[in-house]
Order: sequence, then C-alpha cells, then structure tokens
Amino acid sequence: MSTEISQEDIDAIYPQVAEIVADALGCDEEEVKPNSSLIKDLDAESIDFLDIVFRLEQEFKVKIPRGKAMEEARGELSEEEFEQGGVVTQAGLEKIKAYLTEVPVERISDPLKSAEIPKLFTTETFCKMVLRETKG
Amino acid sequence: MSEHFRAFSFVDRIVSDNPGKEIVGEYHIPDTLENFSPSLVAESIGQCAAMSSMAAVDFCFRPVAGIAGEVRFCGRVSPGDTLQLHAELVKSDQEAVGYHGKALVDGEPVVKLLNCLGPMVPMDDFDDSEAVRARYKLLLERGADPDAFTGVPVIEFKISRLVSGSELEGRFVIPVEAAFFGDHFARRPVFPGTLLMDLNLRFLSSLIDTLDGGPWGVEGMRDVKLRSFMPPGEELSLSGKLENIEGDRATILVQSRRGKRLNSSARVQLIRTPR
Repeated sequence: MSTEISQEDIDAIYPQVAEIVADALGCDEEEVKPNSSLIKDLDAESIDFLDIVFRLEQEFKVKIPRGKAMEEARGELSEEEFEQGGVVTQAGLEKIKAYLTEVPVERISDPLKSAEIPKLFTTETFCKMVLRETKG
Repeated sequence: MSEHFRAFSFVDRIVSDNPGKEIVGEYHIPDTLENFSPSLVAESIGQCAAMSSMAAVDFCFRPVAGIAGEVRFCGRVSPGDTLQLHAELVKSDQEAVGYHGKALVDGEPVVKLLNCLGPMVPMDDFDDSEAVRARYKLLLERGADPDAFTGVPVIEFKISRLVSGSELEGRFVIPVEAAFFGDHFARRPVFPGTLLMDLNLRFLSSLIDTLDGGPWGVEGMRDVKLRSFMPPGEELSLSGKLENIEGDRATILVQSRRGKRLNSSARVQLIRTPR
C-alpha cells in the first residue's frame, strides 16, 4: 500500500473527521470546512484538540501521539535548526509550508512563534494525521 | 489535621487494578453526612479511574478533569451506602486518560460515565508523587479508614436574569478557602469540576421549573467540557439556555465564563416526570 496521501484519501475520510470536529466543538457540521483553522475560525482550545484526537483515535483505531505532527514537519532538521528562542527559523518555515500543504501560505506568518503552529491546523490537517497513522 | 486524602477523596479501597486497563474500587459514603450528590458519585468514579491511570505512568503524571461525553444519573444514593466503582480505561498514557465508568449500590447502577477524557499533567506540579503512590498502595492492600469526608460547603450563586421557559443568567464566586482545596490538589488548589457540575444543576433548577410541559427531572449531562482551571477566589458568570424540547425530553445548554472567555460547557438532559 502506498504511504503517499492523495486528495482521494482525504476526501474518503473527510466526512467522518468533519463530523468529529463538529461534535467536539459543539458546532454545526456546515460550519466546518476543509480549510477551517480550528483555533481561529472555530474557537478551538487545547482541550478541544485533545478531544478531537481522542475521538479520531477511537474512530479510526489509530494512535496519534502528541507532538507527532511537529516532529514529522521538522523532518531531518534538529530542534535548534527548526526553532530558536520560540520562533521558527527560515528553514523551519519552509518545512512547515511543505508539510502543511493544506494551509494557505498567506496564513503562515513570518516570523512565526512555534507556540502558534497549532493555530494553523485545519480540518484537513487532522485528516492527514489520521491517514499518516493508518498508512504507517 | 492535613486535608490531603480526606477532604475530597472518594475511594476507600481498590479491589483490583490492571493499571491503565481496568480498575474496581469501593467507597463508603459516611453515615454522618446529610446527603451525597450524584456529582460526587461521578467524582468517585473519576478518582478510581485516575488511580489506575497514575499507576500506569508510575505516578509521574496525574489526570485532571476535562471532558465527560455523557453522565447518566440512574439511581439515588444515600449516606451509609457503599459505592462499587468500576472503570474501563480505553486510553492511558502520559497525555491523557480516556475511560468509561460506573458506580453501583447493591449491584444497581446509580451513575454511569461514558467517553470521559482527562488530560495528564506533571504530578509534581499538583501533588506529592510519593504520597500518591503510598495512597495507591494503601488502597490496594489494606484500604483507607472510611468516613474521612465530612462534606463540602454549598457554593452560593446569584441569579441576575430569568426568562421563563427559555434562559437564565447568574454568577458565583469560588471560595478563597475551603477544606477541599487541601486535597484538590495538595500543591495547587483547583475548584473541582464536579462541584461546578453540582452548582450548575442547582443553578438551572429555577429555569427548569419554568419550562413548558413539566415537571422535568434531570436525566444526565452530555458534552461536559472544562476548558481551564478554576482557582480559589475567581468569579464566574453562568448561563443556561433551553436548546430544545422534543417529546418527553429537553436539553439545556449551561456555560460558565471568565469575563467573555468560555470556561466550561455542558448539555443537561431532562426527562418529563409524572406529576
């Protein structure tokens, strides 16, 4: 099985993920869009992220470790190469743009505080988290 | 006398534990109490699950209240009853504990918790890990002396606006001092989420009494979510809003806010009761 994630893969699980996001945030499913920023557009907080990840783990029978997305985004960069003093480096920014392809580039500010990276996460980001785990 | 493991602890004995998987415990409600709310029964189940989750991570982390997908109030409890506590942990690691649980009296369920999730926090920020480890060992081997709990103060609230059959607003102040803060938690006092649950239900009673088609009784709660810690002395606003009435059931959304920021939310499920 290919480990590449296609738009077809994302489309296949999107309805379930959107339903989970809507349930966790207590909003209408119509409000949840593929490119909705969960924090900025849907007012999610850290407890909501935990809730969503827990629900996704239960639904898709996968384990999504905390920080896994950032670890994967960082790739071969060391922590120092990725961020310095809480701010993502230029090399780190390029990695984030390449990893979070679902996030419109104009939303990725420069400079970007590493603590603000979760603000970029969209519904599609969570689809990709699930797919990365199911595809190994 | 220290309030640690006395003022807000609701597990007397661990009957069996497979850490991070399944735990069975007991709690005897002291005869001397006037009452013991369903919210405290829910607390008792959560504390039982917490013990198993802490044992699974060698007491380096402890859970705090976060989410309860559903709380079902199925029966009444009285002082003198012994709660049989069961929790099945579906997730247990350094990040979170996810569990389902129930409390029974004489084999009959009184409270059920479904799809609960508590974030794990560093134990040393909230409690003494060696003391908690020793407590777990005591509960597992000999059991704690019963009847340490002497009750919690009734937290008062003020209603500022009531729209009959529709909405309710009010506020309350978390006490600056209370015995339960010495046990919840020993190193960082936090207002327990289950006491907020109890307060929410008392607060909503004025609205429930005005709903069409009553009388209504509380069947349970769902989508219970605590978004932040509530320290001593903090003032929170409360709101209740009827979401729907369908047949014999109704739902009220209850929220607390710190300023404009949402602090907690839950949906209270009502069932029409015979006159």
